[in-house]
Amino acid sequence: MLEYAAYALVLFSLGMYVVLDGYDLGVGMLSLAAGPERRREYGEIVATAWDANESWLILVGVVLWAGLPGAYAVLLPGVYLPLIGMLIAIILRGLGLELHSAAGRYRRGWALLFGGASLAVTVCQGLVLGAVLTGPHLRNGAFDGGALDWFSPYGVLCALGLVIVHLLAGAAWLQDKTEGWSRSRVRRVGRSLLLGAGVMALVLGLALRSADPQQFPLHQPVRAVLFWLAVAVAAAAGAVAWYGFGRGPDWRPFAAVATMTASGLLGLAALTVPVVVPPGLTVHQVASPHSSQLFLVLGVGLCMPFVLAYNIYAWHSFRGKYRAPVDSPVPPPPARTRTPAPAATGDPRTLVRRVLLTVLGVLAAALPQDVFGGVSALIGPIGVTVLGCAALAAWIVGDHRDARAGCFDADTGAETRS
Amino acid sequence: MASPAVVELSRWQFAITAIFHMTFPALTVGLSVLLAVVYTVHVRTGNPLYLQIFRFWKKIFAVGFGLGVVAGTVMTFEFGLNWGTYAHAVGPVVGVTIGMEVITAFFLEAGFIGLMLYGDGRIRPRTMALASWTVAFGTLLSTTWILSANSWMQDPVGYRKADGQFQAEDWARILFNPAFAHRFPHMLLAVLISAAWFVAGVSAWYLVKRRASAEPMARRCLSLALGVLGVLMPVQLYVGDGTAVFMGEHQPPKLEAFEGNWTSDNNGYNLLVVPDTDRGENRFHLAIPRLGSVIAQDLGGTRTTPGLLQTPADERPSMWTAFYGFRAMYFTALLMFGTAFAGVVLRMRRRLFDSPRFLRWLVWMTPAGIIAITGGWIVAETGRQPWVVYGQLRTADAVSHLSTAEVAASLAGFVLLYVTLLAVWARYIVRTVKAGPEALPAGPASPDVPEARVA
Repeated sequence: MLEYAAYALVLFSLGMYVVLDGYDLGVGMLSLAAGPERRREYGEIVATAWDANESWLILVGVVLWAGLPGAYAVLLPGVYLPLIGMLIAIILRGLGLELHSAAGRYRRGWALLFGGASLAVTVCQGLVLGAVLTGPHLRNGAFDGGALDWFSPYGVLCALGLVIVHLLAGAAWLQDKTEGWSRSRVRRVGRSLLLGAGVMALVLGLALRSADPQQFPLHQPVRAVLFWLAVAVAAAAGAVAWYGFGRGPDWRPFAAVATMTASGLLGLAALTVPVVVPPGLTVHQVASPHSSQLFLVLGVGLCMPFVLAYNIYAWHSFRGKYRAPVDSPVPPPPARTRTPAPAATGDPRTLVRRVLLTVLGVLAAALPQDVFGGVSALIGPIGVTVLGCAALAAWIVGDHRDARAGCFDADTGAETRS
Repeated sequence: MASPAVVELSRWQFAITAIFHMTFPALTVGLSVLLAVVYTVHVRTGNPLYLQIFRFWKKIFAVGFGLGVVAGTVMTFEFGLNWGTYAHAVGPVVGVTIGMEVITAFFLEAGFIGLMLYGDGRIRPRTMALASWTVAFGTLLSTTWILSANSWMQDPVGYRKADGQFQAEDWARILFNPAFAHRFPHMLLAVLISAAWFVAGVSAWYLVKRRASAEPMARRCLSLALGVLGVLMPVQLYVGDGTAVFMGEHQPPKLEAFEGNWTSDNNGYNLLVVPDTDRGENRFHLAIPRLGSVIAQDLGGTRTTPGLLQTPADERPSMWTAFYGFRAMYFTALLMFGTAFAGVVLRMRRRLFDSPRFLRWLVWMTPAGIIAITGGWIVAETGRQPWVVYGQLRTADAVSHLSTAEVAASLAGFVLLYVTLLAVWARYIVRTVKAGPEALPAGPASPDVPEARVA
């Protein structure tokens, strides 16, 4: 039973990832079509949360590895090139986003890099999805396919579908976060994307059914009920999103789109469970041994409420419309003046002192190095403690003295040369 | 059995991505602690200097953390992409450990970093301080888990082998394995130290350039960084020595390789060697006589260092990487110790902020910690070869079924990307440092002064 818990964890993190990073990839792609000042704003909207959103992808990877190592080991080599492409695009995306954000003003290159890399990430993910749904080439339970197995018409269709789904989530998120789009424009864009997503879902579902020689076992009643239930929820959420685009409350379209995506994923899981690697590798065959499952499920399961709680807190802190950050200057310091340190004086004994200090330094270095064999067991820890404590004392005393002397206060009349 | 070319290219790719990734945590773990400390001081005292420090280092921390996250994502997937057999075999042990790292530490950092970086003016200062501490705690926790996972591969314990997989038997022994007890404190100190050198170097640069607007901040940060270094450097040398001794006992080939001897009759300490792996001898070596035996705690100078010929030929690591990785770490560590020591002496003589030569030297020491960490990891990882799980799983047997062209393409992609990225990152740091911190208003001025400065 535990292997189903691990499977559920993978599914849950995948769902969180698709919903959360889906919107910020979508916002990234939409920024390509936006004007300069909007692009910067879109980047800043994503910048507050992308680290957290992308963590879910890492969680998908490691939970899959720890809980279902068999699946992790055969799926990843099968999609080597698109997955590497995705990772490279993720790096470029993070780079563009962070440097754009740090630049403090609109920079065309970073903005385009962020948008273009968002598109590339989505396309690569679509190709990976297509390859996973079609199933890797296996022999004796290990991957044995070619380098370009992932490239198929179905994979390309999946990529297109995923681009539309992420764009949809992005548009819904933007309705919640910005005031830049007019109601009619949001409605037009959102509804056409919704239509596109519906068409793609149908096409992909039907193509998968015909592409795969094994028909899905929809004759089992429980499975059929779950699957059609998921489809019904997705359709209902789609209808809510259709109604909600361009109409208040602004959070409604995103909630509906998220529900749609999640129920789509659940529908897919209901169809395939217990198969994790199509066509025939089941969760029982790929799961890790009981001791690891137990540790993983307990550890991750116990942490999950906390993770969700502080993620919700972080989202809550940035709720509402995006506002440009308030430019608050550093407040003025308390009054103090600095007396400069006495100037260095030339001294004939300087050389002697330096040589002595160097010898002392070498000896001091030898102490913690445990060089003095016979008494090493004693002198090592003692030497380290003496040195460390001496340095600590010097630090504290020196710091207090410098603070009293005003070394750390702004000089009056300091001019900025930046 | 995969082709040797795939193994070789995959190893290069993993090494490059891992070293590249490591350079970011080497800075951000220590910086996160610095940021948490200065923000707390600012909240408690209201001293604007600490807010200035926080805002300045936040800029470098934000980009470094972001790049560290994306480079870390690469690592997570590479285990399965290139090392499918390894992933399948150790997933029940290492996979779980890294899974726990992601859920307990990584999420903590990622969840709170948005608050810490963009929360100014949106959330209360106390909450900001709490968020900063949470991020710092997360980075330290992250280090703990990762070192636990890696140490288990260095000295595997607490498992049972079944169906080609390592199955966990005793989680307490797996997580707190003997190697972890030595390597974790060593790495924890290393990341704090490398960030301290970075902070000290940048601060010294402002003092060397006599940038008046940044001088208070530079003095404050320099004093903090050198204070930390003065305390931690001796401890680090001690802990590092313990780690080397431990490795010498548990992985003798690693010690034999990094000491640079083939035969076991050298009582000297090698400074330079040119090893000839095929013939099993050094073409050239430069050694200090007797020092090797002194370091091995025989003051008489007769004890000899074991050589690599003691290890069977198919279990020998490369002497080149282990020897020079170790020398890069060790020699840099000696420089670091000397500099920190000089810093303590200068502080006691009240000359810390007015010694141009020392400050210029500190600027050169900026990347010292990162160099030492890189060298250390090269020893740790290449010294363990040809095993990926020491004594249990060979690297050559751990690779995925991939074509040479695929791996060559991805390797080329990563090299190209990472070289560009390093250049961009270095340029960003240089620009941020040159731009300097935002202005600190002079004197306890009337309330309209800040506005005048903004305008």
